[in-house]
This record gives sequence, C-alpha cells and structure tokens, in this order.
Amino acid sequence: MTAATTPTTAPVEPALRVRSSGTMATRTLGIATIVTMGWLVAFGLGFSPADRDQRDAVRILYMHVPTAWLAYLAFVVTAVSSAMYLFGKKHSLGFDRVAGASAEIGVVFMALTLVTGMLWGKLTWGVYWQWDARLTTTALLFVSYIGYLAVRGLGGTHDQRAKRSAVIGLLAVIEIPLVHFSVRMWRSLHQEASVLDSDGDVDMDGLMLFSLFVGVVAFTLLYVWLLLHRSRVIAMEDLLDDQGLDRALDQRRAEFL
Amino acid sequence: MSGGIVAMQDAGYIFGSYALTFAVIAAFTWRVIRGGRRLANHIDDNDKYWT
Amino acid sequence: MTDLTPRSGPEPRPGSRSGRRKWLPIVVIAGVLVAGGVIVTQFLRSAVDYYCNVDEVGDRSGCDTNRRLRVQGVVELGTVVSSGGDTDFVIAFNGASFAVHYDGEPGGIFKECIPVVVHGRFDVASNTFMGDRVEVKHSDEYVSVNDARLSEADALADSCETGTT
Repeated sequence: MTAATTPTTAPVEPALRVRSSGTMATRTLGIATIVTMGWLVAFGLGFSPADRDQRDAVRILYMHVPTAWLAYLAFVVTAVSSAMYLFGKKHSLGFDRVAGASAEIGVVFMALTLVTGMLWGKLTWGVYWQWDARLTTTALLFVSYIGYLAVRGLGGTHDQRAKRSAVIGLLAVIEIPLVHFSVRMWRSLHQEASVLDSDGDVDMDGLMLFSLFVGVVAFTLLYVWLLLHRSRVIAMEDLLDDQGLDRALDQRRAEFL
Repeated sequence: MSGGIVAMQDAGYIFGSYALTFAVIAAFTWRVIRGGRRLANHIDDNDKYWT
Repeated sequence: MTDLTPRSGPEPRPGSRSGRRKWLPIVVIAGVLVAGGVIVTQFLRSAVDYYCNVDEVGDRSGCDTNRRLRVQGVVELGTVVSSGGDTDFVIAFNGASFAVHYDGEPGGIFKECIPVVVHGRFDVASNTFMGDRVEVKHSDEYVSVNDARLSEADALADSCETGTT
C-alpha cells in the first residue's frame, strides 16, 4: 500500500533512503488486506443468502459486526499497551505510541459500527436510533475514546502524555464488558449475541457465518496494517518534536556565546 | 450468487453502508500514508526503527 | 546564564503540534464531558429496562397504565389490519395480550409473529394501547431464505410463540 521510492535520476543521501512508514512486510499485509476486503464484498453482497426475516438488510451485518469486534480489540490493545507503559520498568514510549495508534483506529471502527448500525436499524427496527442499553453504552464508549485522544493532544512532554493517557486507557476499557453484556443485563431493543452468546450456540446460517468470518479476517488484517503504520508515524512525530526542541535549545545557547 | 444485486431490497442502505465504510477507511489510510511519507523525509534512516 | 525559557511564535515544523491550535483538545474534552453527561442521563432515563412486557402492564412497578409506556410483545397472527394510514393489531406476551392502535404504518421488518416495542399510552376505557411509534425487535437467529430449515422455521412462526423471557 505504500512504496519506498528510490529516485533514479538524482543521487539520494544514504541516510534518507526510506521515505515512508512502509516495509516489505506491511506492503504484503496491505495487499492481503485488499484481497480479503474484495472477498468480503463478494460474500457480503453476493454469495451470502438473504435472511428469512431481515431479507437483504442482513448484509449490513458483515460491516457492522467486524468493525465492532475490531474496535473492542483496538481498545483492549490500548489498555494492554497502557499497562505495559505504566507498569513496565523502562516506561517505554513505544507502548504509548501503540496505545495511541490503536485508540485512533478503534475510534474510526467504532464510528463505522455506529453508522452502519443506524442504517441497519432503520431497515429492521424501523428507526435509526433509540436510547436502549446497547446503543447508549456504545455511544458512551465512543465518546470516552474521543476524550482519550483529546487528552493525548493536550501538549506537554511525551512522558506526560503517556502517563495521563495510560490512566484513561485503563479506565475506559472497563466499558467494553458493559457494552457487550448490556443486552443481557438490561432489556434492550438490540438483539442478543448470535455467535458469542451465553450458551455457546451459533444461531447463524453456515454461509452467513463464513461471510462474517471473512469480514473479521479482513478487518483484522486492516487493523494490524494501520496499527503498524500509525505507530511509526507517531514515532516520527515525536522524534521531530524532540529534534525541534534540541535545535531551539542549541540555537539559544549559541546566542549567548 | 443468491438473489441478485439488482433485485436487492433496500439497496441504497446496503450499498451505502459498504460505500461509507470503505470511504472512511480509505480516507484514514490515506492520511496515515501521507503522514508517513511527509515525516520520513525529515528523519534519518537510522532513527526509523522499522528499517 | 543562558535563557532557555520558551519564546512565542515558533515556526511550525513537520509533525510538530506547535503549529496547531492548542485549544482544540480542550474544546473536544469539554464537548466529550457534555456528551458523556447527556448519554449517562439518557441511560438512566431510558436505557435501563427499555420496555415493559405485555403481561407486566398495570402490574409491575414502572409499568403503570396512567403513564407513557414502551410495551414489548409479539404481533399475533391474523390480527394486523391497516386502514386509512392507521394500523391495528394485537400484541401478546406470556399469556397476556391487548389491542394496539398505531397512528401510522410500522416500518422496519414489521409483520405478524414478530416481537415489537410500541411506544404510547394505554387507554383503559377501550382496553387499547394507543401507539405513536413501533420498533421491530428482531431475534438473534439468522436463517437463510433458501435454507432447508425454512419450512421448519415457518412452522414455528405459524405457531406464533409469544415467549416468556
């Protein structure tokens, strides 16, 4: 998906040969993601059957559910990375960058979950939105991680950013079980889980289940690709901030010599 | 293929959900790639831990 | 001694946040706090026990007939009548049932034998629930229209079971 360009007409400084956040591994991963997304479209819109009750509206499930599950995963990765930063001996900022990148991706996926869910809801429930337990807790989860990202942007040193956002990342993840089990704990318009339900049964037609599986694989590959790239971009942003600060300090010292 | 895309009920909502999802993903991906390319030109290769 | 205190107006560098508006995260955080408050309020007002079941109306605390209600039940087979833009049907749950008059045509996948949540008020005189909003509460089961189990599923639907949960 990205390409490290190597100009042929002009000589390139040896220290600047890599001009992107990509590697051969991420390029391979990117191609695999695009191919799997193609399969998802083919299965989601073509091969998978319509549902007895919902008819073709069920096809939105293959966008809605994988984005929801991957958003959960992204927020869990944020929490684990936050814990690694806070409780690790080295307090490595690498964990903080993974946490931040994962939260960004999670917010994008969660936004897609909400929008596709609203479209699906209009077709099946007859309304775009209702303040039932699942929708309300999901909205709260989404808003919490927007807050997490805003806190990351407050400024200060990288360590200050890492510490305050790690605390929020560890607190916000507690909402995920609340969202998942909301349909069991309270009466909800949203249906209960069909795959990861309490009795372990899978209440889904075989080809529908396979299409959902393709969706989960496609969005997992996309998540990993985005996480690798975004973490690297954040690392470069931090490095340039540090270099800029170093340059300013050197300049100031030079003025007094 | 079952049914057929032309005969699909509520095609606007269904295609809309797919189109919106891929559009948002493409926009986010483009932003990440562009950021990576822009910043990589200002960073020494030795500082790029993935190289 | 060298003065190392920050100066204002530095040149924006690639990747630096110094060129960005510093107040934006604060505005976002304020917005998040307001939105969070609204969501929690909605949760306490609406999301906890989103509906009363048909058999609980007038029986259970919070399901009194003199207040606005959201009632859940299964649309009984052969009871849906549409006329003049209004829809009448009977909903049942756990052995109890009552008539619903809905001021409109229900959207979504509304049909007989499907669970619905109707918003409105109960008219004791006519023993009818006067609904102004209908939401279809579809199940967590996904069955292909082409599936061999269709006949079995249809047979189940024809019995129009009204559930007890």
